[in-house]
Amino acid sequence: MKATSLSRHTGFSRRLKAALLSLAVFGGTSVAQAAQDQAALIAQGKYLAEIGDCVACHTPQGGRELSGGLPFETPFGIVYSTNITSDKETGIGHYSYQDFYRAMHEGISPNGNLYPAMPYTSYHLLTDADTRALYAYFMNTKPVSQQNKESEIGFPFNIRMGLKAWNLMNHEDSVFTPDPTKSDSWNRGSYLVNVLGHCGECHTPRNAIFAMEPEAHFQGTVLDTFEASNITPEELNRQNWTHEDLKQLFTKGYSRKGTVFGGMYPVVYHSYSHLTEQDMRAVTSYLLDNEADIEALPLAFNGHDKSAPGYNTYMGYCAGCHGQDGEGRPNVAPALAGNATLDRASVYNAVSLLLNGIVSQHYNSTTSFYAMPAYADKFDDQQLTDLVNYMRITWTSQKADIGVSEVKDIRTNMKQSVH
Amino acid sequence: MSQHIQMTVNDQQVGPVEVPEGLKMIEFLHEYLNLTGTKFGCGAGVCHACTVIVEGKNGVSEVVRTCISGVERFVDKKVRTVEGHAKRNAAGEITELTPVQMAFLEHFSFQCGWCTSGFINETTALMERLAQAPVAAADVEQVIEEALKEHICRCTGYVKYYQGVKDLILNTKGLTY
Repeated sequence: MKATSLSRHTGFSRRLKAALLSLAVFGGTSVAQAAQDQAALIAQGKYLAEIGDCVACHTPQGGRELSGGLPFETPFGIVYSTNITSDKETGIGHYSYQDFYRAMHEGISPNGNLYPAMPYTSYHLLTDADTRALYAYFMNTKPVSQQNKESEIGFPFNIRMGLKAWNLMNHEDSVFTPDPTKSDSWNRGSYLVNVLGHCGECHTPRNAIFAMEPEAHFQGTVLDTFEASNITPEELNRQNWTHEDLKQLFTKGYSRKGTVFGGMYPVVYHSYSHLTEQDMRAVTSYLLDNEADIEALPLAFNGHDKSAPGYNTYMGYCAGCHGQDGEGRPNVAPALAGNATLDRASVYNAVSLLLNGIVSQHYNSTTSFYAMPAYADKFDDQQLTDLVNYMRITWTSQKADIGVSEVKDIRTNMKQSVH
Repeated sequence: MSQHIQMTVNDQQVGPVEVPEGLKMIEFLHEYLNLTGTKFGCGAGVCHACTVIVEGKNGVSEVVRTCISGVERFVDKKVRTVEGHAKRNAAGEITELTPVQMAFLEHFSFQCGWCTSGFINETTALMERLAQAPVAAADVEQVIEEALKEHICRCTGYVKYYQGVKDLILNTKGLTY
């Protein structure tokens, strides 16, 4: 009896211990697994935030990352980016997931409507899973206590009720719909470029009320000092961009076809240089609308016409860095043969770069470019016209058909700020 | 292929002289004029050691880097190099340095001297600009920083150069208010 009782007791005790042990093991595993899942979610969100290039707009010059305060000049006044660190007082640390979702998809923060300088007009196509990953990341960024600056938008655009009307006319939250006729990679590229990369916000022309014109998708438009290029597949293929060219441009800031400048420098530095190999191919496949390898055609150097106006200006001012025959110099200046900034109908960027120069660009310990000087006070309109025409006929298939009045208009209309 | 060019260097008419196409200005100064005071540093327009002065429109001079500029840029222009600043006697011997040169000597601004011609030309052009458009004394440090920040010195650490320029500007009449 005693033995039996003991036996029963021992058996119960063993079962209890086993049960407790298994609970502890499974419970521990569950906690550890949850932490692991959360860490993976945050890491995924960090990658998505990089491709979304949040840091470029939400970090002030010389300021703390994501703390906001960078000014944006819009036709309606100055808008300042906001603090999106996890600080609960001045940042977005107090946002619920629903708050975050509405800001990203509908342009509505807990404080009211956001100006569409925040690209919710692109981000609204984010999947719920990606929005959750982004939320996990932003709730775990380093908090920075920094008050937001009031926007300097003039009447009547400072009335945020107007944004509700703007959203009614121009914005509808929807879901990303893959094109069934295209591959998974192409659709992934479309998602990265159109949604996270929000490339259309600069590269698609806007109408009179500042909404993107869908029928002119990626056809390029003048922003301020520079023109966001036409990046339609038709134009990129005409210029003979290859997958490798675009990959080089997006990872190192330069390629066989030239370098990035202006607003594209932060895009490459903060964002596209972080694309995984697979996502990079998806992006280039989408942009080129071609998944197959593309043959890189020889770049055109048509030879110098020494009697042409512009030749001596090129040799005196440009050849020192860009090379006597336009061959360029690594880490100093891009080659000119087939250069995408020259090889296009619009001369806006070529003139703009000559007038304003390019600031130094640093990518990593082995890749950086020294500044290109500004020549606004060195060249008159005739000299500029002669130089641009000379470069077009010498290194591209474009004609020397740019008139002085066109150059004069660009100089007059553009802002003389250095980018 | 070659070309004939002419210009004025340190008040001396030069040319027409036949030079090959693609000749950089610093090569022209060194190889054709024997003016070797302008130094070749990086060869990429970064260090600014090779800076010379070109007389611009309306009496406003500009500074130009000769290692990245072709001779074509200087045709029919008036150029000043470091050899052209000090006063000389009939025999060509230096009799008096300029205030800029004296300031750098007095402040022990340089050691190896490779960057000195660039600093002298940039500072001289700055002094000329300030003579036409004086600045507030309180802004002098910022003005100097803006003018000289691209000039690289690997010996003295800039402080002695900047201090020399600051003292010179503040002690020269008409440059500040």
